[in-house]
Amino acid sequence: MDLALKEINRLPVPTWNLLGINSADINGVPAVTAPYKGEYLSELPEGVSISDKTVYAPEIDTGMGADAQKFSENNKNCGATLRVKAGVKADKPVFLRYRIDGKNSSVVDVTCIVAEEGSEVTVVENYSSEGGAKGFHGGLTKIYAAKDAAVNLVQVQMLGDGCTHFDNVGGAAEENAVVNILQAQLGAGEAYAGCKVKLLGTGSRLNVDTIYFGDKKRKIDINYVAEHTGRKTRCDINVNGALMDESSKTFRGTINFLKGAKKAVGHESEYNLLFSRKVRSRTAPLILCSEEDVDGQHAAATGKIDPDRLFYLMSRGLSETDAKKLIIKAQFQPAVEKIPDPSIRDAVFDYVKERLDSVESIS
Amino acid sequence: MKPARKKTKVKDIDRTIYDFKDKVNPSFEVKEGLTPAIVEEISQKKGDPEWMRRFRLHSLEVYNKLPIPSWGPPLDGLNMDDIVTYIRPKAKMSAKWNDVPDDIKNTFERLGIPKAERESLAGVGAQYDSEVVYHNVREEVRRQGVVYTDMESALKSDKYGPLVKKYFMKVVPPQDHKFAALHGAVWSGGSFVYVPEGVKVEIPLQSYFRLNAPGAGQFEHTLIIVSEGADLHFIEGCSAPKYNVANLHAGCVELVVGKNAHLRYSTIENWSKNMFNLNTKRAVVDEGGTIEWVSGSFGSHVSYLYPMSILKGEHSRMEFTGITFAGKGQSLDTGAKVVHMAPNTYSNINTKSISKDGGYCAYRSSVKIMPDAYGCKSSVSCESLMLDDISGSDTVPVMDIQNDDVEVGHEAKIGRISDDAVFYLMSRGISEQDAKNMIVTGFAEPVAKELPVEYAVEMNNLIKLEMEGAIG
Amino acid sequence: MLLEIKNLGVSVDGKTILSGLNLNIGKGETHVLMGPNGAGKSTLVNTVMGHPQYKVDKGSITFDGKDITHIPVDERAKAGLFLSFQNPEEVPGITLESFMRYSRNAVTGKPVKLFAYKKELKDKMEGLSMDTSYASRYLNVGFSGGEKKKSEILQMLMLNPKLAILDETDSGLDVDAVKVVSKGVEKYKNSDNSLLIITHNTKILEYLHVDYAHVLMDGKIVKTGDSSLIDYINKSGFQQLAV
Repeated sequence: MDLALKEINRLPVPTWNLLGINSADINGVPAVTAPYKGEYLSELPEGVSISDKTVYAPEIDTGMGADAQKFSENNKNCGATLRVKAGVKADKPVFLRYRIDGKNSSVVDVTCIVAEEGSEVTVVENYSSEGGAKGFHGGLTKIYAAKDAAVNLVQVQMLGDGCTHFDNVGGAAEENAVVNILQAQLGAGEAYAGCKVKLLGTGSRLNVDTIYFGDKKRKIDINYVAEHTGRKTRCDINVNGALMDESSKTFRGTINFLKGAKKAVGHESEYNLLFSRKVRSRTAPLILCSEEDVDGQHAAATGKIDPDRLFYLMSRGLSETDAKKLIIKAQFQPAVEKIPDPSIRDAVFDYVKERLDSVESIS
Repeated sequence: MKPARKKTKVKDIDRTIYDFKDKVNPSFEVKEGLTPAIVEEISQKKGDPEWMRRFRLHSLEVYNKLPIPSWGPPLDGLNMDDIVTYIRPKAKMSAKWNDVPDDIKNTFERLGIPKAERESLAGVGAQYDSEVVYHNVREEVRRQGVVYTDMESALKSDKYGPLVKKYFMKVVPPQDHKFAALHGAVWSGGSFVYVPEGVKVEIPLQSYFRLNAPGAGQFEHTLIIVSEGADLHFIEGCSAPKYNVANLHAGCVELVVGKNAHLRYSTIENWSKNMFNLNTKRAVVDEGGTIEWVSGSFGSHVSYLYPMSILKGEHSRMEFTGITFAGKGQSLDTGAKVVHMAPNTYSNINTKSISKDGGYCAYRSSVKIMPDAYGCKSSVSCESLMLDDISGSDTVPVMDIQNDDVEVGHEAKIGRISDDAVFYLMSRGISEQDAKNMIVTGFAEPVAKELPVEYAVEMNNLIKLEMEGAIG
Repeated sequence: MLLEIKNLGVSVDGKTILSGLNLNIGKGETHVLMGPNGAGKSTLVNTVMGHPQYKVDKGSITFDGKDITHIPVDERAKAGLFLSFQNPEEVPGITLESFMRYSRNAVTGKPVKLFAYKKELKDKMEGLSMDTSYASRYLNVGFSGGEKKKSEILQMLMLNPKLAILDETDSGLDVDAVKVVSKGVEKYKNSDNSLLIITHNTKILEYLHVDYAHVLMDGKIVKTGDSSLIDYINKSGFQQLAV
């Protein structure tokens, strides 16, 4: 029996119910999670310790909401708690690689990253699946960045169409801490992603770079919340995506300036390229503000490829389809370049290329 | 050094000129609360045609089924059972200003009507509580075949009755939301405008609404039909004196813009600060037609106001320019909605909001592009200004795009008055207060300049007094 | 003495920029202030104008016999101080023309006669080779760098202050524009009006008689001389003067 997770990815301030954007439901969540048998953790850098205990952190909320968080915590079958000692700058990333295949049909990973004062770490979570494997991934990642710490979280999702996937992230940043999140939501029949980071300390920062790619009848649903509590906090959220065939995407991005967040700056942008008459793209970029001395900005642009750019590339001999594929690749490039591991970078490009190759024509 | 950093307060609008009250002197009043019997009673007293009586009762059923909105500012303090839905003033509909009873006339005189009409308006309709008391259209406009009358006369007229029946609450069906249903059940008064094919009305038509009785509701219905190739500018203004009992305004505006027709609909709302303004406005635009909304929201305790445009015909267009100013005790949730039903349609939304003294503004919008509406363009720009740190401002836009052949852009900004800009202006000898007022005026200027100059009564008192006054 | 700065100490966000700075400017004099990048030139002029970000820790500024150290910026403007900004603010919604009218009214305290004012504005704009349509454009909004600087000089001419401070008004201008701006400055300058010019470029000075030149380094004036100091600095640089 499958379960459903109702009303996840909720907009912090709801709007007209008829628009269907206030929240999403995930159907096809397995009621029982089989153990995960694969190896997934890379060799740890010095100064980073591991345990399998989940960190209790009531101050952290997640982007998808409490129900999705509880689901992962209750059904956890893999993941790790990583603790980075004060002042340690990890010399290499921690890799967590999960694969859905014939033996492992579900991955419910709970990962906690605790970066102590002045430390720095990069954690890469990579999700892939074998051929046409059916499966489920429902992950939870909690981040705590203490004073002056830096946490880089890279999530790369390249699951097959037979998988349902969710990535639920919650974080908190203390004084001058930096949280950098890179999400590549490239596959899965249904992909849900939520992320909420609280910028608690003065001068703390959040950077989110996201790319998404939709083809066939796939569905992508994203909810990001940057919550500014501390003074002089800053967030930059940049989302780039491409949709083709009959795919659909919902993007919710909220910058929330709470009272006291004086001199906070929050910028968000979404650029979305559309390649088929049957796509559906929904966007809700919110700015909530209870503080006077802030600077909040949003920009969103959705549409076809710039015809001048297309013409330019075609004048150099590229076919229209190739030119468009090149433009999509270019759209993803800045985010992909931030992935610290060349093999994952290449895998991302190969994966996108493969998906694009199966798209016969791009309108 | 001791810098010039003391907080400057932007002055509150001097509302006393709106706060005068007349003695409540109704000739007929229904019991508080809403039952089928009351709706029947209203219908009977108004002498509705049978279809309208049934329509009212049907709307009441819908009303009783629908929930109140689960989003938006709280509606605490609004108790439907306490609101007298229907108060008819003693006056009969009049075409001569002299026939309007003195107390009502005084009210309108004080608000500058028909002075405004004398100056430059093609026609004025004045509604006092639930009934239209005065309607007049300039002779030359009448000769063009333009009809401007109250809704009830139109409903009962042989000539326009069928038009009313054809369009009445078709653009905004009662099922739309709870307050639209309420409106369908108890509507009263309002304006009917019909502009025949090809007629260009050179000067604006104006209507003016005013609530006087405490705890009264106003549910006027406006239906404007602009036929093929015709052109009209309609101005609607609202105000209410201040009472301690919550007042409700749930009007409904239906605009039918024909092929290649053009309609500009301007509104200044300045309800008193105990008003719940739950108004519904919607336009359907045919091929090549244009609807332009200019909307200023200054008054009321709570507002839910999102004029909607349905771009039904190819190459139809909508432009929305709005400003919302929320002060102490106000939660103004405003914005716009557009549905691109047809290919090659265009929409442009440009809004500004200002929050001060604990006021709350929300910009809420929805831009929807339907699957077969190719070649559409839409751009949204909304800017919010926070004047202090006890106020609030939310921006809640949604875009729903269902094909790829579109250009959709959205920009939002929120912030405060820049210190550097204040310093720059002050370095030219201008006081801090004036510098800030100037910046706020400048912020509002793109909207202010869209408002008709003739419509001085409200805007002069609001924008100028509020912001420019100290500069002049 | 028109402007008298005594032992001035200024900090920004707790960081000391100027300390023990002295500077005197007399009526009708033209002064040039030079100094390497980051020496504190802009801090000095913003402090003289009264920008709240700059904190006066010690010393005093006297203008026209009045202590202005702690008075707000608009009062300083009314007293006859003018600053031509390095990066003039763009202020949407107010036209240049109506802004100058408000400003003139505020500074002179007298009502501005509309017709005469419009004519004067037009003449002065033409004198600066400014497109007169800029008068009805929003204050500096969308102006090019050159037009912004001309707009500053125009405002100076319209307000006719006792002391005008030009903060790199010539930077980023082409040769012709520098000539136009210089001519405007020349028009302003007379035996009563004084000038303090900050520049990296000596082009603008070719059109003006310079009475004194100062070098600002390490937060204070390290050298004062006549116009020959300018040539000296141009040849030898600032390092010669480092303390």
